[in-house]
Amino acid sequence: MKKYWKSTAIIAVIVLSLGTFFVNAATSAEQYPEFVIQKQSGDASEIKPLVLDGSYADTSSASYVSTNLKISTNGSKYNSRSLIDQIIGQPPTLIKDLQEQYRSFMRGKNAWADVFFEDESFLAYADVDYKRGSLKASDFTFSISVLNKKDGNTNTFTVEVPDSGVLSHIFVEDVQVVGDELHLITQNMMPNYEEYHDEKHVYTIDLADQHITHHESIIQFPKEEGEKDLYINAELIETDPTKANERLVFLTTKEIESDHPESSDFEVMNKEIITYNLATKESEVIDVPDLDLMENQLSFYDGSNIYFTRAEGQEFIVTPFDLENEKNGQLLRIPMSNDENGNVLTPMITVNDDKLYAVDSYMNASTNAAITVSDLKSGDPLFEGEIVLKDSLELDSFDLYVHEIFLR
Amino acid sequence: MIEVKEVEKKFGRKKILKGVSFTANKGEITCLIGINGVGKTTILNAIMALTPIHKGQILIDGEPLKENTFEKITFIPDAITMLPQMTIAESMEFMHDFYASWNQERATELLSFFKLKPNDRIASLSKGNSAKVNLLLGLALDVDYVLMDEPFSGIDMFSREEIANVFTSHLIENRGVIITTHEVGDIEHLIDKVVLLDDGMVTKEFNAEEARENEGKSVIDVMREVYVR
Amino acid sequence: MKNYIKLANFEINRVSKLFTVLLGITLIVQIVGVIVEARKYLNMANEKMYEEMMSIAEFLEMFNQMSFIQVVRSVWFLGPIALCIAGVAFYIFLIWYRDWFGRNTFVYRLLMLPTSRLTIFFAKITTIMVMTLGFVAFQLILLPIELLIFKGMVPSDFRNDMGVREVVSSMPEISIIIPGSLLELILYYGAGLLAVSILFTGILFERSFKWKGIFAAVLYGAVAVVLFISPLLLQEFVVDHFFYPLELFLLEIVMGLIIFAGSIWTSGFLLKKKITV
Repeated sequence: MKKYWKSTAIIAVIVLSLGTFFVNAATSAEQYPEFVIQKQSGDASEIKPLVLDGSYADTSSASYVSTNLKISTNGSKYNSRSLIDQIIGQPPTLIKDLQEQYRSFMRGKNAWADVFFEDESFLAYADVDYKRGSLKASDFTFSISVLNKKDGNTNTFTVEVPDSGVLSHIFVEDVQVVGDELHLITQNMMPNYEEYHDEKHVYTIDLADQHITHHESIIQFPKEEGEKDLYINAELIETDPTKANERLVFLTTKEIESDHPESSDFEVMNKEIITYNLATKESEVIDVPDLDLMENQLSFYDGSNIYFTRAEGQEFIVTPFDLENEKNGQLLRIPMSNDENGNVLTPMITVNDDKLYAVDSYMNASTNAAITVSDLKSGDPLFEGEIVLKDSLELDSFDLYVHEIFLR
Repeated sequence: MIEVKEVEKKFGRKKILKGVSFTANKGEITCLIGINGVGKTTILNAIMALTPIHKGQILIDGEPLKENTFEKITFIPDAITMLPQMTIAESMEFMHDFYASWNQERATELLSFFKLKPNDRIASLSKGNSAKVNLLLGLALDVDYVLMDEPFSGIDMFSREEIANVFTSHLIENRGVIITTHEVGDIEHLIDKVVLLDDGMVTKEFNAEEARENEGKSVIDVMREVYVR
Repeated sequence: MKNYIKLANFEINRVSKLFTVLLGITLIVQIVGVIVEARKYLNMANEKMYEEMMSIAEFLEMFNQMSFIQVVRSVWFLGPIALCIAGVAFYIFLIWYRDWFGRNTFVYRLLMLPTSRLTIFFAKITTIMVMTLGFVAFQLILLPIELLIFKGMVPSDFRNDMGVREVVSSMPEISIIIPGSLLELILYYGAGLLAVSILFTGILFERSFKWKGIFAAVLYGAVAVVLFISPLLLQEFVVDHFFYPLELFLLEIVMGLIIFAGSIWTSGFLLKKKITV
């Protein structure tokens, strides 16, 4: 047995050394603090559907690594950084839920919410495929998939993007299914002389015939010649990404580059709200009386109302505006918290079922992030609370960012 | 019986063996004779599956070579097959570890027969002694067939004598031996069967004793007839 | 099986000298490195504080505490690791070629063992694996010792303490060698084993067919690589991201196992039918 001692020793050392290291690694896994939503007043059941996607970073350590987490009434759940979790990736909550429920339909589909639509009967997906060229992309086609939830059939087809020769690129910004028609709202970028020139387009596709029945450019926003410093931008106002709305709301912003040679600040010149009605195919400039668009932020659109927000002193003021009747709704006043430097924290909002959810997008060791749920009709608060460290844990320094509010 | 049938072998485009056939029986010493480069070593390598053949067949007791055929046939190449840092004793232990047919008694006997010191390292052995160790490692196996490649080449006179003595001893009895050489002198009287090779072919296969008795010719006489024309 | 253990043990004994030398170099150079790097920092601190009259607080403000990372990033630490990697890479070839070359033709003996010739392949690949993991294990034992020396040399005000795990995860290059979880270790070294099996097959091609064999070996390697990444290529260019990432990952593992099996089979075939001494 004498001649086996070397092998035996080496293998024993390997097993012991690696064994100790990995047993240690498994038992002393990195500890993350747990966050919970603490009620201050109101009905705790109001925040049941709330899921906050965010990220946490321990700022006391030299290596600043942030870890994604989800906070809900069940507390906080960190995305583990294990290899398997890294492989699976971290799609947004909405996509993750869809992937679990419609595993085969969701195959091979891009993992962002804008390109999906869901209601009781359909789950639809539309995106743009193209060939990557050395100079520009070409052969743009819409690839469309609609799952009929009742019979489980999937209608998948592709449609060439009309007039795609002039496009340098095209993004899908929203997908909506109304009856037998699928509406695609896109931002089309086309090189125009030496300037880029963008347009918001709507494409209406007949799902039965699988072809485009209507195509229209809703807003054009060229960088105007002669006024080199003027920038125009148009954005489609976010709504629940999976919902259908008859009306689309766009906000156009004109900005001018300030003259100061050192700074490259932009000064907003003008803001305009434009709606487009998918049924009548009419667009309209919305004039909001008694509301300064420069001061008020257009923060949300729920299909019938648009919501403006502004900070005023220690209050966060939400003004709903009814698009149908063109009048302001009940004003909402939400108290805001300050951070340690005295800056007020402006919350993010989302609206569902006549309830407004407002969540501060940042917290740290000295300031907690407030969460409020308010009744839009009465303006009364239904729930008030904040995100806190569980068991009143004390931490030296950390950053917690909330990126997205999701209602399950 | 070892049967070599129509064996062909190429090195690159050059055909080294062009259909070699012969047989070697148990209990006989068969000698492959030919000038250097005629492919004698290649034939032995091919029998032991140490080099592939392109055509033909080699059977050992009627079967192609398998893993455990190495328990009944052994090959003693002209260079030693143990690592230079090993001692003779370690080499013997290695053989003992892997071969069921290893005969420790015979090995010890050979060790004293050749007057070898078990603690000598392979690297330090003289050419003659390393040939003896090689022979020891092969002959201490209880095998039916022993192949030897030029056991006398480059060895001093006294070692030659010692090695030649092996062939007349009980160590070789009942075994089938194939031996290659290009100079038949030392062992002419020991040989039972001669296979003459030339240009990749067997030019003559004959029984040495019969040649002696019937025609009164020595092996060298027959070789002269064949090669010098 | 018994012959495999005997032969693997024999091969490990053969490499033990090289192995010990590399361990010795690692031990000495890394420990010297800890001492040299710590001295360098302390000398600088002395200079700044006594000659330029800096206070401790000022010094720390300007130069920060010393952490073990500074040692890890030095050539003292990484050099021996690179040397060990080079040693293994070199030995992958030497483990075969040393049997063919030189005055002693040990390959005759190996090929004439009354056992499946694949046993030789398995014994040699085991040796490479044991050698590699031996280095990893030794580094894991060495690290706490080095950390202790570091602690002993640098006063606590001037140092930023780290655990072995923090040190290991501080550099991506090191965390590939010593990953944070057992699964990753198995995957990384499994991939390494696969690569070694492909190289071994290539070597056996060369040993079987000489010059033509080098061509065959390169071809075999290329086919193996293409096969291995074929699920990724399929995903990207044919099925348009049909597979979920986890499925793709499992496909890769299956493909790796298939190639490993293929390498073993091919090596077995070459050893049995085509090898030449």
